[in-house]
Amino acid sequence: MSDIVLFAHPTFGVLGMVAAVWVFVETLNASEANQARIRMAAYATTACIVLAWLLGGYWYTTFYAPEKAIILKGPWPWAHDFFMETKEHLFFIPLILAIYLPIVATRKLASNATARAMVLVVSGFVVLNALAIEGAGAVINHGVKIAFVHSGVKGSE
Amino acid sequence: MSTTVHGDLAAGAPRTAKAEGTLDNVAAAFGQAAVVAIIFNTLLAWVKDAYDPLNTFMAHLTGHHWITHGLADLAVFFGLGFYLMSRPSTWNGKNLVVAIAVACIAGGGGLALWFVVT
Repeated sequence: MSDIVLFAHPTFGVLGMVAAVWVFVETLNASEANQARIRMAAYATTACIVLAWLLGGYWYTTFYAPEKAIILKGPWPWAHDFFMETKEHLFFIPLILAIYLPIVATRKLASNATARAMVLVVSGFVVLNALAIEGAGAVINHGVKIAFVHSGVKGSE
Repeated sequence: MSTTVHGDLAAGAPRTAKAEGTLDNVAAAFGQAAVVAIIFNTLLAWVKDAYDPLNTFMAHLTGHHWITHGLADLAVFFGLGFYLMSRPSTWNGKNLVVAIAVACIAGGGGLALWFVVT
């Protein structure tokens, strides 16, 4: 159960990021014809990022404590002290942006330059934040792994 | 990739205020709320990390400080958004776009810098 939740969290994060890229590209070419696709992609971004938040939050508050202790005893304590501490708070920025995205993406983007610029900025920052967060997740994961390797646990190498 | 703007503008419509567009009250209200919530998120992370009693209090409220933190961010976003919806927006739409970008850079950079320094 723990592993399913753990892997579902970044999966939905990546899907949310891909959906935000979709919103961005469609908005660059906004017209009456693709307004429905922009709306659908914006809702998909929200759904995926909210699911990533709920799944990641459940795993973090339920299962992370022992892994944190392992990381802090290993050679990469900064995998928690910097990467996890930053990631867990940074996540709220794309969450807020992803919830806001459909509010502005459902406007008439083809004829509203300001709404179009807002959608580009909001979806762009969802993507940039999600990339940073996915990268931080990889470092945290490696922080646990390298702590096991360093401890000499048989088979960990 | 072409970044050509299609639609009314591309069709040669006059660049009037209507064609340029402004953000309606709902989009502007929640845009302002997003700016405030993003900055609030970073400030709350700083304060609770520097002041343990607040961290403990937040953990006591929901069982984990991080859950309380997220709910507080969303309360600011939705609370302020719904409140501002009923008021005429004083923000120029383009300024609000810039404000969102600045809030994301300052908020994210502020978090990273804090956890590098502390």
